[in-house]
Amino acid sequence: MSARDSILDAVRTGLGHVRTDPAAARREAAALLQDLDAIRPALLAEDLVEAFVARLVTPKVAATAERIADAAGLPAAVARYLEARGLPAVVALQPAAVLQALDWSGFERHDRVAPDETIAVGAARWGIAETGSLVFHSDAETPILANFLPLHHLVMVRADAILAYLDDYAAATAGQRPPRNVNIITGASGTTDIEGSLVLGAHGPRYLHVVIVGRHPGEAA
Amino acid sequence: MEQATLSFKARAERALADPTLKIAIDRTTGTAERKRALAMSQFPQFEAARDRARRIKDHVIANLEHYLLEFERNAIASGAKVYWAATAEEASQIVVRLCKEAGAKRVTRVKSMLGEEIGLPHALDEAGIDRVETDLAEHIVQLGGDRPSHIVWPSMHRTREQVSEMFKRRHRAPHQEETIEAMVDSARRELRDKFLSADVAISGANFLIADSGATCTVTNEGNAELTTTPPRVHIVTAGIEKLVPSMGHAIAMLRVLVRSATGADVTQYTTFHCGPKQAGDRDGPEEFHIVLVDNGRTRMLREGMREMLRCIRCGACMNHCVVFRQLGGHVYGGTYPGPMGAVLTPVFDGLEKSRDLPHACTMNGKCQEVCPVAIPLPTLLRGWRDRSWREGLEPGVVRFGLGVHTFFALRPRLYRLATAMAIRVMRLFSRGGVVRGMPGLGAWTAHREFPAPARRSFMEMYKDQEGGR
Repeated sequence: MSARDSILDAVRTGLGHVRTDPAAARREAAALLQDLDAIRPALLAEDLVEAFVARLVTPKVAATAERIADAAGLPAAVARYLEARGLPAVVALQPAAVLQALDWSGFERHDRVAPDETIAVGAARWGIAETGSLVFHSDAETPILANFLPLHHLVMVRADAILAYLDDYAAATAGQRPPRNVNIITGASGTTDIEGSLVLGAHGPRYLHVVIVGRHPGEAA
Repeated sequence: MEQATLSFKARAERALADPTLKIAIDRTTGTAERKRALAMSQFPQFEAARDRARRIKDHVIANLEHYLLEFERNAIASGAKVYWAATAEEASQIVVRLCKEAGAKRVTRVKSMLGEEIGLPHALDEAGIDRVETDLAEHIVQLGGDRPSHIVWPSMHRTREQVSEMFKRRHRAPHQEETIEAMVDSARRELRDKFLSADVAISGANFLIADSGATCTVTNEGNAELTTTPPRVHIVTAGIEKLVPSMGHAIAMLRVLVRSATGADVTQYTTFHCGPKQAGDRDGPEEFHIVLVDNGRTRMLREGMREMLRCIRCGACMNHCVVFRQLGGHVYGGTYPGPMGAVLTPVFDGLEKSRDLPHACTMNGKCQEVCPVAIPLPTLLRGWRDRSWREGLEPGVVRFGLGVHTFFALRPRLYRLATAMAIRVMRLFSRGGVVRGMPGLGAWTAHREFPAPARRSFMEMYKDQEGGR
């Protein structure tokens, strides 16, 4: 008997040979995701963007955030960030059309992230207000390493792509073919492996700066 | 390792005599306990979330065959190859074979307790493959040549001074400044080129998602993604109990897992890995292999330990265990320490070799109270104690002692007479409210006080009351 058969056989024996009715299992599984508000935290604010930002800047997440009116303002926002920290205007730009289309004059830019890259600029698909998370899908425009190699990660996310809860992201993508990687990123890289004390910049970025573009549909003008 | 050949008692005595170990344990578990408490105070939904998490795991276990087959089907459809391993040896052999087929000289590993459980570090070393541990704590464990002592903080037994010394000796460009920040930076420099030059990446999985065939890892350092993206081959090893029906269920589990483990609301990096590199992708492995491991789990189903299969490896039970916090993790002698380890190790190593573990428990119930999936750990430990007795594994002196106790307990008059005499003897040795220097009580009074008996016993007072009616 193959290992597969012997394990499945042992599972059946262990469960007393009760067979699963797939339709019943689906119903039961769906019922376990009912009434989600009872099992998840309240948002920090009623407004989604406000809640998202409030979570991003909590000491636990320790990111920084700013808002701009439209994407055309992103290069200027990046320039301000770099200037304030005395960093050179040399950036690795994620090869995403939405970023490449902007006017980056004044920057020295490249689209491959080096192993010791100081600054990378990226674009997230979604933001999550519950946790202050950014969601990326690996694809032709999104190399996964670009999210992990740089020391400073500056990420643009559209206000209208901010979802209330992680569950809303799962619902938004249910039934679609998953990408190789879904990265849900919450703050900078950190470790508590030496005596439990938190240090940022373990292997991934030490600094995460989020630039929120535009307004959420539900937001007052 | 010489530790492993010593008896549990000898290991415990050695741990208790090590003053740096106690400092190291206190620093990490103390912080973990405080952070969890704070996270709970900010999450009033915890009790409901915990109940839901328990029900999700129970649902999966009750339909395990269904979900295993669904996961396998979807993983294969995503381009992954799926392997099944009944034992630890089979599992590590499959991984080593895949590494050899890939012509691997260097493999990078993401911390996985299942990897430790199946002896993967050792198997890779034996096969002559350069193994690079990328989790900071596992890196420290690898440099120190010892074993993980905690499932979330494997190098918890090391103080910062010890880590500093190791890094200075072994890193190519070690830190100059004696701060934890500088040490972390030293490891960042040391490991960077190794991430990028590995042939094979090996990770575990916190969850297996049945309806997509994806595996999920959670880390705070970002080492999982740096490990699993550059190499040509990514191998995942996971226990068959790691299944959840969908990503939504994984999210519900994550909310209780992370808060229980570190007190954060969510880990910095939560990643779902589904198959190999897709057409157009900028990076990612060309081969994606998943090894599903039984290693005692179906036995647990059969032998009344189904509840233990809910365990999501958060470590809260050990952080809150009075015994673990005195001894640390190495004393337990297995892959998993603390209360959950005392339940699991007899499954893996046999009860004959590990019967001391279920006894190293005060039954204060704290572990069950903090468990995010409400595993009745004290009940399961009592189950092992019971079985150890039934199988005749308890030593003669214990059997004799319990025999004497049973003899008196079954004869109430005799029992009362004997305890009344014992109380009188104890009074003879009482000074200032505590018993001192009484023969036969030394093992107890060497480390703690034994209060002197009250002037009148409960039974005496009870009799008076009854008589007064």
